[in-house]
Amino acid sequence: MLQNIFFGLSLGAVYSLVAVGFALVFNILKFSNFSHGGVMSFTAYAGYLAYIWIFDGRISGSVMFLAVVLTAAVAGAITAVGIERVGFRRLRRNQAPVIYYFISSITLGILLENIITIFASSNFYSYPVFFSSKNIEILGMSFSVADFVTLLFSAAALAILLFVLYRTKLGLAVRTVSFDVNTASLMGIDADRVVMATFAMSGALGGISGVFLGMNYSLYPQLGQLVVKGFIASVIGGLGNITGAVIGALLLGIVEVALIGMVGSGWMPACVFVIMLVFLLVRPRGIAGVIVQEKA
Amino acid sequence: MDYIYSILTLTGITMIGVMGTYMVTGLTGQFSFGQAAFMAVGGYVSAMLTLKFGLPFPLVALVGSAAAMLTGLLVGMPTVRLRRDYISLVTFGFGEAIISVLNNSAQLTGGAEGLVGIPKRVDLPLVIVSVVCCLFLVACYKNSKYGRQCLALRTDELAARSMGIDVNRMKLVTFLFASAITGYAGVLYAFYSQYLEPGYYNWTVSAEWLIIVFVGGINSLTGAMVSAVILTSLPELLRFASAWRILIYCIIVLLIINFRPNGIFGDWEISRLWKKRKPVQGGLP
Repeated sequence: MLQNIFFGLSLGAVYSLVAVGFALVFNILKFSNFSHGGVMSFTAYAGYLAYIWIFDGRISGSVMFLAVVLTAAVAGAITAVGIERVGFRRLRRNQAPVIYYFISSITLGILLENIITIFASSNFYSYPVFFSSKNIEILGMSFSVADFVTLLFSAAALAILLFVLYRTKLGLAVRTVSFDVNTASLMGIDADRVVMATFAMSGALGGISGVFLGMNYSLYPQLGQLVVKGFIASVIGGLGNITGAVIGALLLGIVEVALIGMVGSGWMPACVFVIMLVFLLVRPRGIAGVIVQEKA
Repeated sequence: MDYIYSILTLTGITMIGVMGTYMVTGLTGQFSFGQAAFMAVGGYVSAMLTLKFGLPFPLVALVGSAAAMLTGLLVGMPTVRLRRDYISLVTFGFGEAIISVLNNSAQLTGGAEGLVGIPKRVDLPLVIVSVVCCLFLVACYKNSKYGRQCLALRTDELAARSMGIDVNRMKLVTFLFASAITGYAGVLYAFYSQYLEPGYYNWTVSAEWLIIVFVGGINSLTGAMVSAVILTSLPELLRFASAWRILIYCIIVLLIINFRPNGIFGDWEISRLWKKRKPVQGGLP
């Protein structure tokens, strides 16, 4: 029982990285960034390539793991900034309606997925095993090392993010811009730079989650579609709310593991969907309870 | 000749699917990433009714569309009163959920191996007739009171609400209409290809339809139809590899969105050729 909850938490931690990366962009531009999935698969491949080309045979074990995750995070940040430059910069200049952001993000998501399909083919690759499959024994129960590391690492990444958001000048600027872009730029904040920084943060989180997902499942071009878990988590937690996204994601992880035990992994997505629908009917604001207004 | 026939038939079916997407996106400004899932519902329900109970084609076509509409109600009800983002997120989740259900009820649907042995009931003339009928319905809907209310609420929901338009109801009605049409496209596809598999209905299909609508111009039904014909039949005829095809689409869309945001056709409709009266402008602000 406790083992299952632990497993659910570690799964939820990965989802929370996805959901927070998604919520960051939602907060600042007020639209759902569907290209996040593309960034995730892209960085998962980037981490894998870095492993094959650079790190293989030189380092191993947890050092290798750190190197791969960092590479993926950097790759994710660069990709996301590139996406912002290509897909959204001009739209913001033109003050385009929200639906154009939508289309742009979907298109970029599909584009990334197809670039991967073309250059890496749709074969499955698998990440190397970073950690021995040994289990840690605590109080008579065994926990797998990989789950433990996932949980720790996700928590650390989120802590760094929260520190940046709430304790630094850049974080203040991000929060200001997400409150009101025009006023913020009147106050002398360079909105372009702040939006770029936000995309970089979201991309870095996407990169980390991409590697974890690649470790859990195998590597294939449609890996990014797991971003749907991030969406569900943010719907449960409340769109655009970072704390809500984390809580929603952890809950989702636990519920999924419980459902796999009860109805099997095949029916699990359908059950999760029904739970989400019920949630929308009963409490559409999500757990965090903040209503995000449609941009007038 | 057979080859051209099959391309024309598939293009016709895609056109009907695109009409559904056009209604949801072009009229009410919502984004559905699960349109293909409604196609799956229509196709599977009708095919299974025929296989298990031997019901005649016109009846199952009707039931299939109705089933798609019902699932549309299930998805639409909780979401229309919320921000537009929700309907995209929920339909995305819906698409995944439908695929997982189809994959896991193997005794009924054949699971991942697909549903085989569906009789062939659809040929090119039927598809052409269907396209014309659906097009007529959608065009009438666009020009009716309801269509104009939809355009108003797409442009500015708050303003539309204050003019006395029941925004939520309009969104739901349009969404249901669109799901029924998409379900019908699914029925046609099922009885044309005689084979169904869950993998065909993932979100890339829905996204491709969205791209088609967008390339043609989000305000123009004519544009959506023309781009449906061009973007589905031309690559087939020229034998592009499919991955490159979608790559090229994406680049076209990015160019359009950055440099010609109203799509190729803007809000031009073919009916302007014989109508003197200036149609209602549904342009985005």
